[in-house]
Amino acid sequence: MKAWRERASRWLFPAESDTWLTVLRVGLGVHVALYALSLGRDWSYLFARSATGLPTRELSERVLSLETPYVPRIGWFVAIASRLGASDGAVLTVLWLCLVVAGGALAVGLYCRPAAIACWLLHLSAAKSGDFLAYGVDRFMTIGLFYLMLSPLPDRRALDHRRRGKPAGRPELLGFYRRVLQVHVCLIYLYGGLNKCLGASWWTGENLWRALTRPPFDVIAPDVLLHFKSLFPIAGISILVLETCYPLFIGLRKTRRIWLIGVLAMHLGIGLMMGMYSFALVMMILNAAAFGVGAWTTASSSPREVVDDRAPQGGG
Amino acid sequence: MRWKRVYAVAFALHFLLISTVSCRELTFNVARGLTIAPGPARSVAQRFEPVVEAALGRHLGPQNPVRTALSTYWHLGGIEGGYGFFAPNVPSSYKLVLELHDASGRIEYDLPRVGSHAAGLRIASLLDQVGRTQSEPMREYIVRSMAASAWRDHPQAVLVRAVFGKVVPPTIDEAGQGKKETYQVLFVYDFSRADTEPPPHE
Repeated sequence: MKAWRERASRWLFPAESDTWLTVLRVGLGVHVALYALSLGRDWSYLFARSATGLPTRELSERVLSLETPYVPRIGWFVAIASRLGASDGAVLTVLWLCLVVAGGALAVGLYCRPAAIACWLLHLSAAKSGDFLAYGVDRFMTIGLFYLMLSPLPDRRALDHRRRGKPAGRPELLGFYRRVLQVHVCLIYLYGGLNKCLGASWWTGENLWRALTRPPFDVIAPDVLLHFKSLFPIAGISILVLETCYPLFIGLRKTRRIWLIGVLAMHLGIGLMMGMYSFALVMMILNAAAFGVGAWTTASSSPREVVDDRAPQGGG
Repeated sequence: MRWKRVYAVAFALHFLLISTVSCRELTFNVARGLTIAPGPARSVAQRFEPVVEAALGRHLGPQNPVRTALSTYWHLGGIEGGYGFFAPNVPSSYKLVLELHDASGRIEYDLPRVGSHAAGLRIASLLDQVGRTQSEPMREYIVRSMAASAWRDHPQAVLVRAVFGKVVPPTIDEAGQGKKETYQVLFVYDFSRADTEPPPHE
């Protein structure tokens, strides 16, 4: 029993360097800033009150309130600011600016923890107030930012660590949070793959065809896709295998690299062939942080090496 | 060490919740015959479904604190739904076409417009929600709001006819034979300027 407990503890709390956290922090920081910038021109139209934009904020917030009143939403900020005389539009502009600034601060590692909390809070508020407008990318951004906010920030490549000498997190805690991210990513692919396996048309390639020709994902003309008609069943089955077997083959050191390359290629394909750049980027960031860091080293670092590796480098 | 035990328990509960939410989606799809799972699997899923619902506190009243706490947690962590995107099958997409009629009877056509590709994907999500909702008042409310933007671009229009429909793409074989996507009209709404413009005081 004691041996089992120790083994479980070693698995759950492996001593890790903070490189994976750097990848997650920089990746999500850049992603949050790009998310805000890409929606900048339409921000008011998407989130303003129904008189000037879509009615989705009102509807989404009402539906959310029926389920729970404790989840952040844009309406909270508007209600607080209206007491100070600020208009709905002004609040939306400030929230958008805060999101860009918080994303930038997170990417460079300035005030890491407050920046991570701000990114999570502001993005979650926008996602929940725009639930009718949301798609997969918002869920994965929330997941990534939720873990990042709780992780032992700052990492040693953050400006907080280099300029202000803030100490980096404990190796075992870094290992724990990476393990959480790894298990979650595995479950995402496992359940995503199982659900797809149960759809007949994924096995024939018909679903892949539908996904690529379905507006607004029809970036490539169907006539061009038809030239590769015979590849659709193979590609469809490859996606099923990649996703469903992900937890097994990403966990094995011998197959980790090839599986990671396969999954990253799949997401790159989704980004380029379906125009889902944001979705592809966030999935690549989660994969890179969870399994990419260390995948190309020959052996796992010993705890001692990890601790030595984390010593401040110059200037600290 | 005590802190490790606390983290281990939190880990177990967190992933139990994620797995249960994901199982809920899986059993939902199987129980309703949306998958290729054989008949016996369907009846097992139908029996299993209430167990999963109960594990997630869905049998409790909407004001129940346990249910509210669970709902809050999974929204905060982004774990409120499963991961079956485009599964078990890729759903149809929807399209809103705006017919703008002016006083002389001339008709122009327009689509909901946004300024970026990123916002366009979100409008597509909104149209999917409009297509799937069972609530007719909600559908009409959203379509009316989307139609409202057309008045700004077409000041001469006196009536907007919003035609909401499903885009049915051809199968691979049909596309090989030259068949193109078809547009299946589901709902039609007529709005006058007074229907869609906000009251002057707003």
